[in-house]
Order: sequence, then structure tokens, then C-alpha cells
Amino acid sequence: MKKLTGLFWAVCFLFGASWIGLVAYPYLTFAGLTQNKDAATGAVAPPGNPGTAAQGARVYAANGCVICHSQYVRQQSEGNDIARNWGTRRTVARDYMFDRQVFLGTSRLGADLTNVGVRQTDPQWFYRLLYNPHYLGHEAVMPAYPWLFQTRRIQGQESVDAVKLSGADTPPSGYEVVPTQEGKTLVEYLLSLKKNYALPEAPEQTQ
Amino acid sequence: MNETAIPESESRIELGTVKTGLGAIDLSVRVPVLVFFGSAIFWLIIGSLLFLLSSSQIHKPTAWWTLPGIPWLSYGRVYPAFVNCFVYGWTIPAGIGSGIWLLSRFSAGPSRYPSLPIYGCAVWNVGMITGIFSLLTGITTGRPLLEFPSYTALLLFFGFVLSGLYLLTILWNRRPGPLYISEWYLIGGLLWFAWMYGTANVTLSAPAAPGPAQPAINFWYIGSLMDLWLTPIALAAAFYLIPKIVEKPIYSEKLAFLGFGGLAIFGGWTGLTHIIGGPLPAWMITAAIVARVLMLIPVLAVAANFHLTMKGAFEDLRDDAVLRFITTGAMIYTAYAVEGSLISLRSVARFTQFTFVTQAHSELGFIGFFSLVLFGTIYYIGPRLLGRDWLFPKIVTTHFWLTVVGLGLLYFALTIGGTIQGFGLEDPDVPIVANSDLLQPFLTVQNVGVLLIAIGNLGFATAFGLMLLISTPVRERQATGDEAGKVPVKSAAEVRIA
Repeated sequence: MKKLTGLFWAVCFLFGASWIGLVAYPYLTFAGLTQNKDAATGAVAPPGNPGTAAQGARVYAANGCVICHSQYVRQQSEGNDIARNWGTRRTVARDYMFDRQVFLGTSRLGADLTNVGVRQTDPQWFYRLLYNPHYLGHEAVMPAYPWLFQTRRIQGQESVDAVKLSGADTPPSGYEVVPTQEGKTLVEYLLSLKKNYALPEAPEQTQ
Repeated sequence: MNETAIPESESRIELGTVKTGLGAIDLSVRVPVLVFFGSAIFWLIIGSLLFLLSSSQIHKPTAWWTLPGIPWLSYGRVYPAFVNCFVYGWTIPAGIGSGIWLLSRFSAGPSRYPSLPIYGCAVWNVGMITGIFSLLTGITTGRPLLEFPSYTALLLFFGFVLSGLYLLTILWNRRPGPLYISEWYLIGGLLWFAWMYGTANVTLSAPAAPGPAQPAINFWYIGSLMDLWLTPIALAAAFYLIPKIVEKPIYSEKLAFLGFGGLAIFGGWTGLTHIIGGPLPAWMITAAIVARVLMLIPVLAVAANFHLTMKGAFEDLRDDAVLRFITTGAMIYTAYAVEGSLISLRSVARFTQFTFVTQAHSELGFIGFFSLVLFGTIYYIGPRLLGRDWLFPKIVTTHFWLTVVGLGLLYFALTIGGTIQGFGLEDPDVPIVANSDLLQPFLTVQNVGVLLIAIGNLGFATAFGLMLLISTPVRERQATGDEAGKVPVKSAAEVRIA
């Protein structure tokens, strides 16, 4: 049994090294990250997430958005993310300090979403994309998410969130298609995705 | 009740005594092993169907036959369900089943506590059902390969520990003597998996890790799962069965030690090559790339060892289907590792990260390496535990070719398509939608590949089910073959029995 004990300790010790480096170390050190305070303007960065972001992140996870969309920007020497206008600087650990769920992602079948809230500010754009990607010419690669919407009778005035649809999608007259609570929080989350503040450890880069 | 033992003359490595009939040891592990294999094959089939559905969905998101508009059968939920079925439903029960059988080869007597693994397997399956149900209804953590909610993770962990305790009792009951190579890998794999799965879930969920630490833990887990669970489990089986089938001892124990030691040193560090350029300290990613490249040392040591063991016995590949499964799997392991170090280099990753190249690469590891080796192992163990034979040996060879051809189509389509995709991603003037649109023909080929793999797996399940249900004593079958004046079909597990 002596050999068995030796093997046991070797196995634990060797794996333990990677555990300390990649689990314990980041767990403990990243908990101590603090916001950056700009000496001149007094602004803090990152600014923190809106209250609905955590809820929207759950809808983002539930529908598997992370399978095709990444959420990080590499520096110019590692890839053309900045030239693609997906950000003006690389993202660093501090960018994610307020996120309860981090969706880095490993595929870019779809666009990177790190700064999608900077590129698109109109909720209607997201509603139309999610209801039927055909409106934006994305139907060949992106599925539709009709279950994030409901068709309901217009009561009084049309809702401000009513999705502007055309063709076969048009609801019967007197009805409108509006996002469900889940759909709304998802779009609020997507609109909140902007890392367009400055951090000293990640200077802006030009193409 | 005949026994075949490998002569020990050429090497000090003891291979143990395999009982090809139903010895006391085999009888004591028969039910646990078959229960784990049965459960693994069940989830393999569910996983294959979900694989087929998800690969059709990514190909044609709007076609009616890909079931658009049904939330619980949408791509974003089916894809993780498929991956989790494969990893937690197939690889782990299959690994435990083959682990029980392999460890019991070195036992001094029959195993005790045979109900322990049955409870373990039951708890594991309850966990799997809750997990897959949760994923399809949208309850998920959204973390790759750790998508299961915490109650599922708890059930899986508990089920694994129960089965692990049973394996420890077998290990405790071993005959005195040096540990065999397969035992190193199995002991390592079992400890590593309990450790990685337990701590990854606890640090990510219980008191949630700070945001920036989550990817480090998550990808540490993914790398460890591949290198320190799937790899050791498959290599344990290969290190036992290759010398057994070619009837020669392993070429060199020193080389085997280099292979095992290297895996143990580098295996935990490789995962972060999935997120090169990610928001983590540069040293972590650099360490991952270095580990991936150095991993070539143990991989080549293992490959050389297998090659030199098989030298002069390569013609056995023609006759022995089990050997064909395992040897092909072992060769793909080398290819997988070489490609892995190549695509983790920063200059290459620039063009391959975020593309189908990485998906093709991981499927090469899961299906080409792990699954092929474990298919072979189950084809070897099954008949020996029941004293029966595969009813239709043709299914075994067909399964092999369907898997190899299917994987080949899938792998080359996604690798070529993914490379084109990668060059498009690097060109800021190519719009992203147009770039992904180019992949259509490659995804068509992938679908054909997935279909072949799924058909092969259905055949595998059928063969396994028939073996459980229909008694076909080996001797009887061979006798009829001789009577008819035909050459007995030398195929599948049949060949080395009797």
C-alpha cells in the first residue's frame, strides 16, 4: 500500500498546483478589485450594473445566447476586435467586477456583444431582431425567439414597446405584439452592455 | 470457466488474471458494471438525438423540421443539453463501469458492497434527469459544461462519491504487488474528477465567485475535465486492453510513467487556451499555452509506448474489432493533442479561436478518442461478463465505420469551414452575418456526419440490449459455424474468447 499512498499524494499535489493558481488565487484576489476613480472628473469606473441586469442575464443564459456570442474584446495584437468596432480597448478583469454571471463565450458565429449597448441604443432594434431575425437579414444564422413576446388586444393606446412588424408577422388589427417581462429584461440587459469608460490598465487602442 | 493469463516472462509488469468465464470476481462486479454501461448507453442515445437536432438547427434555423419556435427545443437549450448528455450521461457512467471492471482485474477476491454502486448510479441518473429537464426548461447557470443548476450538481457529486467509494473498496482488496499503469490512471482520474467537479461548483455557485474569477475557474474545469478525466479513463482501458489483445506486455513502464506524470503535471493548466486574449492576467493564459505545448511530451510517450507494444501485431487490427476501436482511438488522441497545441499558439488562435475549428477539435477528443476507446472497451467487457456473445458481430464493425466516417466528415467540414470563418472574422470589412452564412455547405456535411454517428450509436445500443436479453453461449455459436463448414467469423469480442 506504500506505493498507493505515494501515488495519492503525487496526484493531489500536482493537481493542487493548478487549483491554487487558477481557482483559489483568482477567487481571492479578484474579490478585492475596486472601482477606478478619475482624479480630474471624480467619475468612477466601471459604473455598476442597472438593477434589472441580473434578471436579464438569467434570460440570456436560459436561451443559450452565450453559445454563439462572446463578451470580451482582445487587444489589437491578439485579434482584429478593435478594428471590427467591437470596442476601443481590450476588456480586463475589472470590467466584470459587478457581474454575477460572466458570459465570455467561445464562439463568434454572431457578433461580440461586449459593447452592443453602445452600438445599438434602440430597444425596438433588439425586439425586431429577437422576434424574427429576418427583419435585419440575420435569419440564415440566428434563430427566432417568439416565446419572448405575446400577442395581445390593444387596450386604449398602442404600447410603446409594440414590435413594428410587417408581412406575415403583422398581428390582426386591434392586436399588438409586445415583449413579455422576460423579453423586456433581456433587452434591458443587452442595452446595458457597454464598457465605454476608461480604465488605466487598458488604454484605448486605434486600429 | 477457463482462465487466460498473460505470461509474465518478458516484463515485470503484472497484467492480472482475466477470467473469460464467470469467475467469482466477475460475478461480483457483473451487475454494477452492466448497470453503469446500460445507463451510459441510454444517455449516449438521448445525447446523439439531441446532437442531431442541434446540428440541424444551427444549419437551418427556420426550416420546419428543426422545430423553430418551441422554447424547450430551441438551439440555445438543445445544444447544452446534448453536450451535458454526452459528458455527464455517457462519459462518466461509462468510465465508472470500465473502471470497476479494470480495477477488479487486480482484486484478491470478489468485491463487497455491490449495492453501493447501484445506489450511486441511481442517484446519478436522478441527477441527470433533473439536469436535462432543467436545461430544456431554461434553468441553467450559463457556464459552459457547468450549466447544471446546483441541485443537479449536488446529486451528481453524491452519486459519483457513492460509486467512488465502491471503487476504493475494490482497490483496497487488491492483490499485493506494484500498481499497474491502468490503476495509476484510474486512481488519478477518480480523485481529479471529484475534486474538479466539487470545487468548481462550490466556488462558482455556493458563495458566488467574483465575476472576473468565474471564467478562470470555469475554463480550468473544462481543461481538467478533458485532460484529467476523459483522458485517464480512456488511457486506463487502452493500457489494459492493447497488451491483453495482442498478448504482449506494455513496451516500457518508464515511458508509461513519463506519460502519466506529464499528464498529472500539465493537465490542470490547459483549459485557459480557450480564452486567449480574455480578461485575465496574462500569465494565466501564457501558462495554459505552455502547458498545452508541453503536453506533447506525455502524449508522444503514450503513443510511442502503444506503437512499440503493437509492433509486429498490427495485422491483428484486421481481425479484432475491439483492438481496432481502441487503437484508432489512441491514434486520434495523438492527433487531437498535436492539433490542440497548434491551435493554442497565439498566432494560430488569432484565426481559429471563436470558430468551428475549436468545436471540431473538441469533438475529435470526445468522439474520436474517448468514445472510440470506450466503445471498444464495452464491446470487450460485455460478452465476458455475461458469458455470451454479440448476437450480430456485423453491428460491431458497422458501428466502427459509421463512427469513423461520420466523425471524419464532421471534423474536416468544420475544420475547413472554421478556418474560412476565422479568416473572415479577422477581416474587419467582412460583415459577421455574411461570414457565418458562408458556412452553410460545411454545416450540411457536418449533419451527414452527425447522422452517421447517431445511426452507429443506435446500433450499439441495439447490440447491447440484445446481448442482455438473448442468451447466446459462445461455444454453441462457434459449434454451429464449424458444422456448417464455414470459417467462423472472427469479429468483435468473439475472437479472443474460448
